This record gives sequence, structure tokens and C-alpha cells, in this order.
Amino acid sequence: MSKQKQNTEHVSISINRRRWLKFKGLKRGYYSFVTLLTLYGISFLLPVLINSKALVVQYEGEYFFPAILELMPGMASYYPGQQFGQDVPGEANYRHLQKEWESGTDNWVIMPVYPYNPYEDITTEGNKMYEAPSRKHWLGTDNTGRDVFARLFYAFNISISFALILTFVNYVLGISIGGAMGFFGGKVDLFAQRIIEIWSSLPMLFVIIIMSSIIRPSFFLLIFIYTMVNWIFLTYYMRAEFYREKAKDYVSAAISMGQRNRTIIFKHILPNSLVPVITYFPFSVVGGISMLVGLDYLGFGLPPPTPSWGQMLDVGLQNVSKWWMVFSPVVAQFLTLLAIVFIGEGVREAFDPKVYSRLR
Amino acid sequence: MATYFIRRLLLMIPTFLGSTILVFTILQLAPGGPLEQTIMQLQMGGMTGGAEGGGSSVNAMGGSVLPESALKELKRFYGFDKPIYQRYLIWLGIWPREIKHRDFLISVNESQVEKRVGKRDGHIWRVDVSVDEKGALTVTEKDGSASPVWHASIDETEEDGTRKAVIFQQEFSGILTGNLGKSYTYAKPVTEVMAPRFKVSLFFGLIGYFLSYLVCIPLGIKKALKHGSSFDFVSSVVIFVAYSIPGWALGGVLLVLFGGGTFWDIFPLGGFHAPMEVWETMSFWEKIVNQAHHAVLPVIAWSITSFATLTVLMKNSLLENLSQDYIRTAFAKGLSEKRVVWIHAMRNSIIPIASGIGYIIAVVISGSYFIERVFNIDGFGRMAYQAILDRDYPITLGFLVIVVLIRLAANILSDLALATTDPRIRFK
Repeated sequence: MSKQKQNTEHVSISINRRRWLKFKGLKRGYYSFVTLLTLYGISFLLPVLINSKALVVQYEGEYFFPAILELMPGMASYYPGQQFGQDVPGEANYRHLQKEWESGTDNWVIMPVYPYNPYEDITTEGNKMYEAPSRKHWLGTDNTGRDVFARLFYAFNISISFALILTFVNYVLGISIGGAMGFFGGKVDLFAQRIIEIWSSLPMLFVIIIMSSIIRPSFFLLIFIYTMVNWIFLTYYMRAEFYREKAKDYVSAAISMGQRNRTIIFKHILPNSLVPVITYFPFSVVGGISMLVGLDYLGFGLPPPTPSWGQMLDVGLQNVSKWWMVFSPVVAQFLTLLAIVFIGEGVREAFDPKVYSRLR
Repeated sequence: MATYFIRRLLLMIPTFLGSTILVFTILQLAPGGPLEQTIMQLQMGGMTGGAEGGGSSVNAMGGSVLPESALKELKRFYGFDKPIYQRYLIWLGIWPREIKHRDFLISVNESQVEKRVGKRDGHIWRVDVSVDEKGALTVTEKDGSASPVWHASIDETEEDGTRKAVIFQQEFSGILTGNLGKSYTYAKPVTEVMAPRFKVSLFFGLIGYFLSYLVCIPLGIKKALKHGSSFDFVSSVVIFVAYSIPGWALGGVLLVLFGGGTFWDIFPLGGFHAPMEVWETMSFWEKIVNQAHHAVLPVIAWSITSFATLTVLMKNSLLENLSQDYIRTAFAKGLSEKRVVWIHAMRNSIIPIASGIGYIIAVVISGSYFIERVFNIDGFGRMAYQAILDRDYPITLGFLVIVVLIRLAANILSDLALATTDPRIRFK
């Protein structure tokens, strides 16, 4: 309450600053925002946190940094086992090296905090299928012996990135088309509305599944398919907003001053009509994540072996006794979505405060 | 108002055509369609057959190749021998579909051929096919009159002048005549495949839908009336939880907990009811119990899907109305709180819920791919999902037709519900 009073006293404060302060004042949303942002930021460093490659290897006086190299795009982080005097085909097994070198040599290995990567399956020595959660594998292993904990975190990064990019692309498309419909009206509007009507009569998920079944989608192809089907939702908002704003006096004034359409759209109307779409943004992200999990569950999402919550659920639900395969992704998804919903609630409160007064 | 709804009804037609053309085109142009898949299967079959035969002619050819005639027959079966716009019109039922094909040859110097085309009234039915100079074929019955049912056309002319011709009957039969085609995988008419599964989905949809309304509306009202109380806070937490977990994922969790995996064995693992062998031995009462037993978890998963949105919608709508001037007036008149809330505010608050009815109907009927897959229920949504996997286009398209029609009708129904609950709304 005191915050609100403070805000009304400083009238000169800009509206966006006021919204930010309001958002910060809503603890649940703000802390969710900070936590999620931090976790998402950290998740880009996953190769040095959760990886089967060593952070540092010291072998006969030489230093190697395989995990750190993996973090940098375009750098080769692959070292064959022979390089470290290990008798294995293919890549070095750093976990074994660490054990071997525990005593009696000057060589040493520093492993990441969690020494498994999301792709190593039973072909890597020591991995077993469907291992229950233990000190070794915190959340057990899946049907091909891959570590669930590692996959869970990598999937977190992928899911959020996917949903953010997806929502952004959707927004750009939806805002421009919806805005154009509302601004130009007339034939443009009529034509676009017919298309939207056709589009919205289709069962969205069904069309996505059909398209995914035809072209095995990659990350960006899936975003493209999803955008193709999903952009219409924003056009409703934007069209209405542009219609409403266009009828207002400040737009008439701008038109009578001879401003170009581009200036009117981008400088005058757009900033005034963004509030509903901004408040909707977090919920769009929630939708994006849920959709990705759903598609992955049905097997029409990202191509394997991409770590994904939906794929884990699929495996888990086929073997109900492997409870960790179901609980882990559901809890991960739940916590992520809950945080985003809290953020969304805060954003809405900050941008579009509704004061309900009881008249009694 | 009536004109508005008539116009809406008429607008359904172009929308329906547009959406079906879109999906039809995607499906038909897609690589790896039913034709390719069948060809592949046949070739694989040929290959393994050849391997077992041990050095038969198939192997010598280096992987079997389908003979030209078989390929043509397949193309004809799947309708791929026609250009795409004709295929669409045939599918709609406004372009003649060619049925009962019979191939025959006409040699160079022949201008008339006799062709057996089956039986009629217990006798062998023969017709004459004659060729004119332009190469057009006419079919005449034995009494000399033009045949009312048989038509013929030349497929191709070989190098030596022999013409490959085909004689066929025509039929107008497509979705407009109620023929959704025949499923490739089930080898049954699509409607026959759909009907039982549709009932299953409807069963869950209706129960889940009524249950969520039964819970959400009173809950929303109570939350609005006690806005800011601890009850409001606690129930908000529940709503957030429900919103953040998709119904089907929650269903999965319930299944792991109560399906007898590691934890408790309370509910069956899935299915609509007990397996058919057991089901048929059950008495009527046992059947009801068994059905209910199987339905508990899916129905929970179903209801949770719309639980959060519905409750919040109800709460916000009532809250908004309670802060309106007319409520102040009602209170000022000295009406009781009960009367103000239930008669004055409720009537307006229920409007947004009523307008959502069309959407809900659409959801109920199209079923849920997810829940049906999680609980292994052979429903409408799962059938469609499987049809996509199997490239069973008649079912895929049939499902689409039904869902699109229902959606379009549901939109209009929404408007109608809105118009009846809200007298201020005038559709023009």
C-alpha cells in the first residue's frame, strides 16, 4: 500500500518506471522472475556444470579443458582416450580417468559438478537402463541409460529458449498483421479476416501434428510450423486495439499534421496498444512450453536425442513402474510454468491494475 | 438478428471449403503418403520373399520393382491418377468418382470391342465399346442404346498402336453425400470406425465438462465474495497449480501413483473399461462399477484442464460486476446482499461463461489426444492421431471435417448463447 502512495506522490515518474516499481513490489512475481532469469542464464553454462567431459585435465604436464571448450562454439572439445593413455575406443572416459589417477600419478582430472551428459547412453561403460535414483544418478536413468537429471536441465534450457523465440516470432507476426488490419481496415481487414476465420476453424494441434509428421522438424522448423498456426491469436487483440486507437483524437491530429503512415503506426499507435499483448506475453510462453512438451510426448516434437521433458514423460508413461521418469519432467515443467505464471500475474498487475471495490 | 445468424451460417461454407482445401492439399502433396508407403511395403515384402526363395528372379533383378500395371492399380486405388483439384472435387462429391474399373486392350485395327462387365439379372453382362476417329470411346448396350452406367476412356496408346483402355462406372459420392470414404488401415467405412470412438470421447468430455462447471462456478463465486480472504488465497494457490500443470501430465502422475506401478494399486492402468472378454461376462451393475472405476482418473485429468481458467473467469467477472454502479444502486435501495449478488450481479457475470460454451463443445467433441493416449483409451482423438501416423487419409480428413464443422457450429452457438444471456448485445 505504501508503495502505491509513494507512486502517486512522484507524479513525474515515467509510466514504464512506475510499472517496473509496481512489478518489483509484487514479491511473488518478482522473485519468480529473478529466479527464473538466473536459472535460465546459468543454463547456458550447463556444459561446464553438467557434463561427462572434464573441466580440466592435467596429463603429463599438459593441460586440457574439454568441457570449457565445448562451451565455446566452433572449438573442438573431443579428445580420444589414447591421448590420455586410456585404452578405450573413441572419446576419453573422464570419470574413469579420475578414478584411475586417484593415486600414484601426478595426473589429475577435475570433473564438472555433475559428471554425466544428457546424451551418453548404455554404450558408455557403466551406464545401465532404468536405474532408480541414487547418489550416482540423482534422478535415475532412462530407457537407454541416459541420465535423467542431466537431460532435465538441458531440456529446461531448450524449452525456455524454444518458447521465448516462438512467442517472439508469433508476436512480430501477429502484431504486424493485426495492426495492419486495424489500421488500414477496409479490404485488407476483410480479406485477412476471412483467412483468419479459415485458419481458426482448423484444430491447431492436429495441423501441427500433420505437418510435423510430414517433415521431421528441427528446432527452427518446429517454431516455423507452430507460428504458422498460432499467429492469429494476437491479431484479435491488435486489430481491436488499432481500431480503437485510430479513432482517437491524437491520431487524427497526427494525420492532419501530414505524418506518414509509418510514423503514425510505429510512433503513435503501437506504443499505446501494446499493453494487452505485453500482459499476455508470459502466458504465451507458458503455452509454448506446454505445447513443446505435448508434441514431444506424442513424438512429433524436436528430433531425438534432443533432451526433452515430453519425451521423458512418454518413456515414463509406457513403464508406469519407472516413477522417476514421470515425476522428474512433470515437476520440472510444473515449477517452470508456475514461476512464469507468477511473473505473468505480476506483469498484469503492474500494467493493467484492476481495482475491485466492494460497494458495501 | 435472424439475418445475422443466417449470414453466419452461409459464411460457414467458404470457411469450410477453405480449411478443407488447405489440409487436403497439404496431405496430398506430402511426401511419404499412403501410395509411397504401400509401394515401399510391397517392395520390402518382395525383397524378403525373394531372400527366402533363395536366388529367385526377384533377387536377380536387384531389388524388386513393382510392375507398371500394379503401380497403376495402386495409384487408381488411392486416387492419385487424377490431378489434385479433381481429387478434391471427387472427395467433396461433386465430381464423378470412377468405380468398378476394368482394363482392356483395343488393337490398332479394331474399332469395336466386346467387353464383359460382370453380371446382371443372373446373366453375363456384355457391352460394346466403339472407338471414333478422335479416339473417344462410347459404350453401347447389346440392344444398341448408349449404356446408362458404363463409361470408357483410353489410358494410353502403346508404340504398336494398341490402346489400353479402361471401362468404369461413375458415381457422385463424397463428404457432401455423407460418404467419408473407406479407411485404409481398418478397411471399413470411416463413419463405422468413428462412431464407437466418438461415443467414448463424448462420454469423458461430457462428464469432465459438467464436473468442471459444477466445481468452478460455485468456487469462482465464493472466491469473488470472499475476495482477499484466506479462503481466496488458498484456493488461488490450487488454481495456480492446476494452471501450471497440463491435465494430461497430471493424469500421468496419477497413473503412476494409483495405477499399481510402484505405489498404490487403486485404479486400473487405462482403457475405457475392462477387456472385452471380461466385460462381456459382467452383469449390468458390475459393468457400471467397472466403467466408473476406469473413468475416475481420466475424468480428473479432463476436468483439471479447464478448471483454472473457468474459475478465474467466473471470479473476475463477478468481481467486476460487484463494483459497478448498478450494484451500488441496488444496495442503496436497501436490497439484501443475497438478492443483489444472486439476482443482479450473477445475471451479468454469467455472460462470459455462457459465451465460452461453443468453445467448450468443440473441445469436448474433438476429444483429447493426450488424455486418451495417457490412459490408453481408444477414443476419437487417439484415432485421429493414429491415422496421421498410419497415413490413413480418409480418417484424417474425416476427423477434420467433423471437427471443423463442429467448431464452426459451436462459434455460432456461442454467439447465440451470448445473445440470449445478454440482452444488450445486438448482432447486426
